[in-house]
Amino acid sequence: MSDTGRYLYAIARGIGGEDLAGIRGLRDVPLRLIEHHGLTAVVSEVDLEEFGEAGLRRNLEDLGWLEEVARTHNEVVHAVATKAPTAPLRLATIYRDDDGVRARLEQWHDALQQTLSRVEGCMEWSVKAFTAARTEPSPAPESTGGGAGTAYLMRRKAETAQREVAAEEAAALADEIHAVISQQVVASRRLPPQDRRLAHYEGTMTLNGAYLVDDTAVDDFRSAVQQLSAQHPDSRLDLQGPWPPYSFTTLDDT
Amino acid sequence: MTEPEGPVRDSVPRARPATASNVAATRPQPDTLADVLERVLDKGIIIAGDIRVNLLDIELLTIKIRLLVASVDKAQEMGIDWWKRDPMLTSSEADVLEENERLRDRIKELESQE
Repeated sequence: MSDTGRYLYAIARGIGGEDLAGIRGLRDVPLRLIEHHGLTAVVSEVDLEEFGEAGLRRNLEDLGWLEEVARTHNEVVHAVATKAPTAPLRLATIYRDDDGVRARLEQWHDALQQTLSRVEGCMEWSVKAFTAARTEPSPAPESTGGGAGTAYLMRRKAETAQREVAAEEAAALADEIHAVISQQVVASRRLPPQDRRLAHYEGTMTLNGAYLVDDTAVDDFRSAVQQLSAQHPDSRLDLQGPWPPYSFTTLDDT
Repeated sequence: MTEPEGPVRDSVPRARPATASNVAATRPQPDTLADVLERVLDKGIIIAGDIRVNLLDIELLTIKIRLLVASVDKAQEMGIDWWKRDPMLTSSEADVLEENERLRDRIKELESQE
C-alpha cells in the first residue's frame, strides 16, 4: 500500500462531524476533522503517489486533473463555510500526518483566530461589470474616387479615438460601481479582470470585485447591485455567490 | 447556459437548503473554471505543508502556460478555443512571424556582406 498524506481544505471554528455528513473529499474519501486549541482542520487522506511532491508537479499540469481537484476542493470548502467561520486553504496543501497539521494550527493559532473572527457570519460575493463588445466599424462611406483612401484612414483614426474614450468611461464607471458597493459591505477587493481565454464572456470585463457581505445584509446587497444595474444600462452586472471568503482570509505572513 | 432577462444575472437560489449535503445542488449555475481557479489558486490561506509544491512558482508558469497553450486538445474539449476567435492574438502571432522572417532576411543580408 502506498503512503498517504493529509490534504487540508480549510480551517474552521466550531464545526462538528455532523455538519459535514454526506460531504466527501477528493477521490470520494470521507472527510476528517483534526481539532487543536479551538481550531478545526478539515482534511482527507490522499495517496502520495498522486498528491506527493512529484505527483503534484506532474498532475498540476494536467488541466482535467486540475479542474477536478479544484472543484472538489471548492465544494468541500463551501460546505464548511456554510456551517462555521472558515478560512479556506490554497489548493494542494498536504501534510504527512495529523501531527504536521496540529503543528501548523499551533504555529498560526492567533492569526487564524483573528482571521476567522473577521469573516464570521459573512460570505464572499462577486460582482463583475462588463461593457458591450467592441464597437462594430461604422458602415463604409460612399466611395468617391481618389479620396476613398484618405477617408478610410480618417475613419479608422476616429474609431480608435472613440474606443479609447469609451474605454476610459467604462473604467471610470467600474471605479464608481465598486466604490458604491464597497460602502455597503464589510470588506471589498478588486481582483484582476478574468482572462477571456478561461472565462467566456462578451465585451470587456471592467470590474471583477469580491465583497465580504454579512449574511443578514445579503438582501440589501442584492438590491444595491440591482439598483446600480438599473442606473447603468450600458454595463452588464453579474452577481455571483455566495463563495467561501477566499479573498478575505489571505494571511499577510506568506 | 441561458441568460435570464435583464442585465443582472443572478445565480443565487433564493432559499438555501438547510443542509449542505449536496453542495452542487445548491449552486444551480456551475461556477466557471476561471472563477474557481482564481480563488483556489490565487487566494486562500497559504500555509506551507511538509509536502508542498510552491504553486506560486509552478502554477503561474507551467499551469497557466499549459492551460492556455499546451493542452490545446483538452482545452478545446472544454470549450476553451479562444485562440481561434481572438483577432488580436491571431494578428499578433502573424506579426511575430513576419518580424521573424524580416530579421532572418536581414541576418542573411549582413552575413553575405562579410
